[in-house]
Amino acid sequence: MDATLLNTLRDPAGVPFYPVVFQALYVLTWALHAAFVLLAIGSITLSLAGSGKQKQSTDWKLLTAHMIQTGKISISLAILLGIAPLLFTQVIYDPNWYVTNALSGIWVFTFIYALVVGYMLFYWFYYANKKGGGKLIGLVSFAFIVFAGVLMHVFSVESIQPNEWMNWYAPGGVVDTSGLTFHMDPVRLLFMVSLSAPVVGIFLQNYSDFLSTRNDFTKEYIAFTRTLGTKIATIGLLVSAVLFVVWMFMAGLLLNPLSLAIVVSVLLLLAMINFVKRSYLTTLWLVVVALLISGMRELIRFQIMADLGYSIYDYPMNIDWPSVVMFLLTFVFLGFTGVAFIATLAWRAGKSEGVFDASKDALVTRLANSTFAILVLWCLVYFGWGMFTVFKNSFA
Amino acid sequence: MDFIGMFPLFYFPDIGSAWLMGITGTIHILASHTSVGAALLFAFLAHKAYKENRTDLYDYMKKYGMFLLIFSYVIGSITGPGIWYTATAASPRGISALIHNFVWVWATEWVFFIYEVIGVFALVYFIDKIDRKTHLKLTYTFALASVGTLMLIIGIISFMMWPGNDAFYQTGSASDAFFGVNTFPHMFLRIGFMIMMAGVIGLIISSAMKNKEVSYELTRKMGYVSLLGGFLVLFFFMWYIKTLPESADILLGIYLPSILTTRIILIVAFALYFLLAIVKPQYIRRSLAIVMLFVIAVVGLWPGEKLRESLRKPYVAGRYIYSNQIISRDVPGKGIKSEVEIVADKGLLQVNPWIPDRLRTITPENRLEAGQLLTKLACSNCHALEPGAKFRPLMLRFAGQDKETIKAFMQGSLATGAIPYMPRIDLPDAEFDAMAAWIATQTN
Repeated sequence: MDATLLNTLRDPAGVPFYPVVFQALYVLTWALHAAFVLLAIGSITLSLAGSGKQKQSTDWKLLTAHMIQTGKISISLAILLGIAPLLFTQVIYDPNWYVTNALSGIWVFTFIYALVVGYMLFYWFYYANKKGGGKLIGLVSFAFIVFAGVLMHVFSVESIQPNEWMNWYAPGGVVDTSGLTFHMDPVRLLFMVSLSAPVVGIFLQNYSDFLSTRNDFTKEYIAFTRTLGTKIATIGLLVSAVLFVVWMFMAGLLLNPLSLAIVVSVLLLLAMINFVKRSYLTTLWLVVVALLISGMRELIRFQIMADLGYSIYDYPMNIDWPSVVMFLLTFVFLGFTGVAFIATLAWRAGKSEGVFDASKDALVTRLANSTFAILVLWCLVYFGWGMFTVFKNSFA
Repeated sequence: MDFIGMFPLFYFPDIGSAWLMGITGTIHILASHTSVGAALLFAFLAHKAYKENRTDLYDYMKKYGMFLLIFSYVIGSITGPGIWYTATAASPRGISALIHNFVWVWATEWVFFIYEVIGVFALVYFIDKIDRKTHLKLTYTFALASVGTLMLIIGIISFMMWPGNDAFYQTGSASDAFFGVNTFPHMFLRIGFMIMMAGVIGLIISSAMKNKEVSYELTRKMGYVSLLGGFLVLFFFMWYIKTLPESADILLGIYLPSILTTRIILIVAFALYFLLAIVKPQYIRRSLAIVMLFVIAVVGLWPGEKLRESLRKPYVAGRYIYSNQIISRDVPGKGIKSEVEIVADKGLLQVNPWIPDRLRTITPENRLEAGQLLTKLACSNCHALEPGAKFRPLMLRFAGQDKETIKAFMQGSLATGAIPYMPRIDLPDAEFDAMAAWIATQTN
């Protein structure tokens, strides 16, 4: 596979903005997406473990119910946040993504329904657990969700092996249109999955700190969740670190500065998990580690493609300023205000016992009113812009 | 060697890969339209509950919300990107064209979607945890954000049909592509359907409520909501079909007589169901409401989406990308060049980068194999190739014909673009010959 062919596979419309911006957005949003994927896997695993222990322990009973709730919301957020990297990768690495999807078409289709079935079964587990059962359903749900994750890994791994594409599509010169191509990188997959342990461990520390100010949770329960979180995060991170070193060694990147930076940041994270009392700081550092790992994934892809002569930076551009401005304004004003409104509301309602009267909270009220005003204004601009465009083009 | 930017082909036997996308799309539409309609319904109910201090309505909203979380947001949020996935496998260049024209529109929709999804969790789980005034504000913003997702996606799917004028082709501007002639009628048509679906789902919840008085009151309301939505669908459909391209008119003329009677029967049946909910709410049982949901999905939505997809033929996006992935015309605003002529000149086996070297030149030994591959490349996005296949079976069209008759049809009609709903597929004589030879082996 050479650069000429890879460039031919690019969309002839070009990209509507600077490729480096899409690359940065990809790295950022993939890190956020991965954080919730890992939290989902970690919390589901913990809830399954807890469903076997909850009859003997009230702590486990409460934790299991909350971990199921965490898993439920995390899957939703993982899907939601996964849309953005999926979008941005198609813009600048379209040859890779589209070839892979066509080669593994049947798995692409399977992925969607594996996730639908797995997620719906998880809701079943949620209801069954309220009556003290449903472990088998939980396990089946988990299997479907993990399978969907493995498929996603397969697409990523296949997309960075352009030299193999033709061999997979037409082995021995005979075209295979079945879409059954399936190739994995077990070490990379194990490393990614192993990160779910430190993620859920740190989340448990946050959970413990968050509930520590409430009187309706016992001190024993707060201590239990904190200790459990620290233990899971520590052991999990050590396993992840070993797998990362093996992965980097096999990829020939062990001494790459980014790889070394990740090793150092992981060691620092390990120290923070065990010695920093305010776990929210540990979470902030975890975000940095996630960004570095996301950056490493992108570095691997970028280098493979650069070795073939393909560079995203010379993708032809057709900048479309109106849609760029629309996104930026919506992202900044609606995105930040809207998410701040619901996040503040959720935080304060979670901290309160009983009903939280947000109408007396000046910040929440201001954020709610601002979100509403921004949305109304946005709709007005949309219709104004739309009608102007339709009239302009109808009479041109 | 002159290659064009085609991708490997994925083909699903008997159904065809494009129909996999249709299945996912229909499921997504059912779920996502319900969620937007329900967001509007929530705003109406929350307003009423707050103004009239109706605590019983909060209970209904909570039950409805939980149903929505499982039905609409699990299925809808997965099948949404799922359409991307299946479209990528089935029509990579079609989805690529949409992505590269509308990436910022989709990114904007993503911002709305984030607000919508975290909003629905907050709306359902905080219903008893926060004061009602703030909950009402949350409901209003949730409804606006939900409608916002429709307002953003509608321009993209309307562009798939066509922009309706020449502006986009000359400027390459996303706004000229987005706000085409059928964007607004299409939007209002879908808003009508969303309102109707919100009522249909609402009937499932209201019919199962234990408090009979509240159950009947809400069932009646859902009957009115569904009826209103259904009326809007019919009203805006009339506007919508007037904004379609000429090739769609021709197709509509072909399809309409065969489906008109069924459509009328369905409209009457749905109207009677909604009227029953209004007049005799006690007759609406949960089992009936669930059955009616599936009836609407299977005999209402699926054929409707199939029709919409068919009307777009022979294009998949913006009337410049054929369903078989070949670019059909120049788009000067984007620097895009038609590929029909280079395919006609050199042949698909020469310009498609994914052809094994042994098949690039047709020989007596590989003629049938090359013919099969060419048929897949040129036809399989719309037609299933197996004899006896159900979805637009290609072989049925050539039943009983010999190779020369098939080839004559290809050279006379396909190569000249004489059939308005088929791509212009002009190939060198040897390639048509190989295709016809292979098709003849399948039909005789």
